[in-house]
Amino acid sequence: MSAGKTCPICAARIAHIDYKNVPLLSQFLTERAKIVPRRLSGVCARHQRQLARAIKRARYLALLPYVPRYGAPV
Amino acid sequence: MRDYEVVYVFAPTIGEDAIREKLDRYHRRLTEAGGEITAVDFWGARPLAYPIRKKETGIYVVVHFRADPTALPEYERLLKLDEDLLRYLIVLNEGYLTTSPFAQAPLEAAAPVAAAAEDEAEADEDEEEA
Repeated sequence: MSAGKTCPICAARIAHIDYKNVPLLSQFLTERAKIVPRRLSGVCARHQRQLARAIKRARYLALLPYVPRYGAPV
Repeated sequence: MRDYEVVYVFAPTIGEDAIREKLDRYHRRLTEAGGEITAVDFWGARPLAYPIRKKETGIYVVVHFRADPTALPEYERLLKLDEDLLRYLIVLNEGYLTTSPFAQAPLEAAAPVAAAAEDEAEADEDEEEA
């Protein structure tokens, strides 16, 4: 995912970043399940904050991993 | 009164009937205190992203309710005591949360926007050729 001129979340007109929206959140994780920095994703500051909060909630509920599974391809 | 959303993750070792019974018991705490359950979405079993108490799957239930904040501590105490509840998360619902994860699309901007940009570039090239 490369940094564009505009925030991909704004561009997709996503009204609210839901922590249950796993397909969306996974797009902002690296292969090692780290949150992609916004200098790489091009996400605006507001949406990056919302994303981070949503990803952390999803991790707590085991919807998303904190770290990839052992043996999973990296 | 405020709107909340709660996600429960139950251990897969208990059946759906047992879960519904538990939900009844929890939610009675809320309704007795003047609260109201507005939506219940039973997602069913889902693989966990990481094992919790040696379990690899969890049974997810999402519930929306409206209750007075003062009713929460007692309700939450029930949840904490339940051994079959692997995880729960109570968040404020400011009106934008939907109960289903599957109704929500991933970000389609990434591909289509890139594709659109390419199309534009191609169109430009075409124009030049023309």
